[in-house]
Amino acid sequence: MSVPLSQVVTVASYIIRQKLARRQRYPLVLMLEPLFRCNLACAGCGKIQYPAQILRKHLTVEQCVKAVEECGAPIVSIPGGEPLMHPEMDKIVAALVATRKYVYLCTNALLLKEKLSLFTPSRYLTFSVHMDGLREEHDDAVCREGVYDRAVEAIREALARGFRVTTNTTLFDGASALRMREFFDEMMSLGVEGMMLSPGYSYSKAPDQEHFLRRTKTQALFTRMLAHPKRRWKFNQSPLFLRFLMGKHDFECTPWGNPTYNMFGWQRPCYLLQDGYAATFRELMDTTEWQRYGRRSGNEKCQDCMVHCGFEATAVDHTFGSLKGLVETVAVTLTGRL
Amino acid sequence: MSLEGWTPQIGPYLTLEEVIEHAFDYRGNITVVRTDGTDIVGYLFNRNASAPESFVEIFDEAGEGPIRIRCADIATITFTGKDTAAGNAWTAWLERKDKDRAENAAASGA
Repeated sequence: MSVPLSQVVTVASYIIRQKLARRQRYPLVLMLEPLFRCNLACAGCGKIQYPAQILRKHLTVEQCVKAVEECGAPIVSIPGGEPLMHPEMDKIVAALVATRKYVYLCTNALLLKEKLSLFTPSRYLTFSVHMDGLREEHDDAVCREGVYDRAVEAIREALARGFRVTTNTTLFDGASALRMREFFDEMMSLGVEGMMLSPGYSYSKAPDQEHFLRRTKTQALFTRMLAHPKRRWKFNQSPLFLRFLMGKHDFECTPWGNPTYNMFGWQRPCYLLQDGYAATFRELMDTTEWQRYGRRSGNEKCQDCMVHCGFEATAVDHTFGSLKGLVETVAVTLTGRL
Repeated sequence: MSLEGWTPQIGPYLTLEEVIEHAFDYRGNITVVRTDGTDIVGYLFNRNASAPESFVEIFDEAGEGPIRIRCADIATITFTGKDTAAGNAWTAWLERKDKDRAENAAASGA
């Protein structure tokens, strides 16, 4: 695990406060989508298919700050669209860092190198660069050649300037465990702080409907990929979530763990499904029919989902919610064995 | 199958509620025709059938909004805008890649 101690302490104390307050539902990571515009059109992405007037719009700095305050989660992930296409992304990040939120700016890195000077290195800011594998796999996934090389160049530059950099990788059917292990070596050689992995979600609006991983295939792939992990591999996520992906845990989804805010409001019920919007975070938490979601609900859309935004919060809650979970997390962290 | 261009006939076999659900799921602009005969074009991003007064919300063509419209004021909805989720971006990419590979193979074999 590669998460800095200060961040671990912040998250741990936040969760313990929620437990002491006996809150059954609490957010862990706010997914803040300031815009849907993107400079790529990846095959597996269902986030950017909107009419022109929607793609032209974006949240203001004030809207972003208000959403973060309203939500209260200690971590803010900024996906999109491509966040670096937002004309005031530097101001949004600066405002959130000033409130000591841990910000993960998720980017395809095409604009990262030229925009780096707008940002200041901070332990609260991480550039989470989208990398779906080695050059061939990544360029295939994003449907454009040359993107991998530009991302690598931008990662090097960001690291040289003292920024925290992680990678985020979405895996689809057909991914090679061997090639992914080579990819992990490559990313660690680049010097990134850690890597984040997740299987893709079968967005109904995504152009590619054929290559999403079903549950058993996900477990088989992650078992092959993460068996005997090398000590040098660092993952910027809960080790119990990785064990869940390998089929070693049977977690249920925590859809409120990563609430999503965008120009439409607070998205029900999660980052992946769009079943409507609430005007406030409180309304989202209080009026969403949570029992309709998750694998055990029988909801068809949830049956194959093992995505981080639903299950990482479960894994983290498991760590701090029981002695067994804590011992398991510590053991995996110390031994490096998943 | 895309609903682009669909002009639903509200009646005994198709309710307004069903059409609203289709419009909510549609990734293109729609036209809301009100019971008073006026209409508004925009992207329907939300609907709430369990509110005391059920409603839909849209951003209009200029991006202004959200504009809330009571379901009781809607006569019908037509699917007038381009379906941005339709198309074959993935297959087009694969075909282009295959073509490039074939051309490269032919060139190296020549």
